[in-house]
Amino acid sequence: MSEQETGANLSVSESRESIKILDERTLEIDLPNQFGYEQVAMECAASFAKLVGFVRERIDDLRTAVAEACLNAMEHGNKWRTDARVIVTMNFENGTFSVSVKDEGPGVVDLPEDPDIQKKLEQLEPARGLGIFLIRHLVDDVEFNKPAGEGNVLRMVLRMSY
Amino acid sequence: MQPKNEITTETRDAATLLRIKGDVTVFSEPFLKEAYLGATRQGANRILLVFDKESYINSGGIAVLIQILAEARKRSQVVGITGLSEHFKKIFNMVGITKFAKIYGSVEEGLSAMASAG
Repeated sequence: MSEQETGANLSVSESRESIKILDERTLEIDLPNQFGYEQVAMECAASFAKLVGFVRERIDDLRTAVAEACLNAMEHGNKWRTDARVIVTMNFENGTFSVSVKDEGPGVVDLPEDPDIQKKLEQLEPARGLGIFLIRHLVDDVEFNKPAGEGNVLRMVLRMSY
Repeated sequence: MQPKNEITTETRDAATLLRIKGDVTVFSEPFLKEAYLGATRQGANRILLVFDKESYINSGGIAVLIQILAEARKRSQVVGITGLSEHFKKIFNMVGITKFAKIYGSVEEGLSAMASAG
């Protein structure tokens, strides 16, 4: 995929995202609030999950869930503000892979209900609004938190099955 | 910089193939709609959407696809889908798209099934 196709500018000299390895079990990625950069977090999560032994199917689930959580943070949390950031922290410990996605927004007021595809096709409800639904169905646990004065945090967990 | 799609249109047997290159996101809307409307203007009533297995598809792209399916439904067109990875077959099934557009394992399978449909 070219940079033009993804919209992401990933060249080292112009990179505006940063990836920190906090310890051998924990990574933190600081992303600009810009469409396309969700793929940086997605690929990083996929690489980390592969490294610790997740199977392909679960890695694919993780990729989509992480991308959707980042897009949700950029759009609904940070309202596409160009000066905002999205912080993604991932950790693997005791067979559990957790990912936290933090934005700077005022908080999700109402989480969307599960989509009704029939209503969407009849144009009785917007076609969009599928991200949270996908996350809920692809990971083992998901929770939404709003630490005081610190934006929103979506935390998701995948457990390795032995 | 916004992502772009290259969509080629091909008529095979009784169906029109729309081959979609590039990531499928909210930015795909003008490209997909233009290709769909172009095929419709040419009289297509069976449309096979051919995805690229390596493409990134997100919820915004799925929403664009739902809009196309809604338009096709109004026009009583039959839409099929092929070229998806196993993961995105699962996602499309999860969202419910497969109730309204069948997923086929290959272009040939899709063409064969759609030729005998309706």
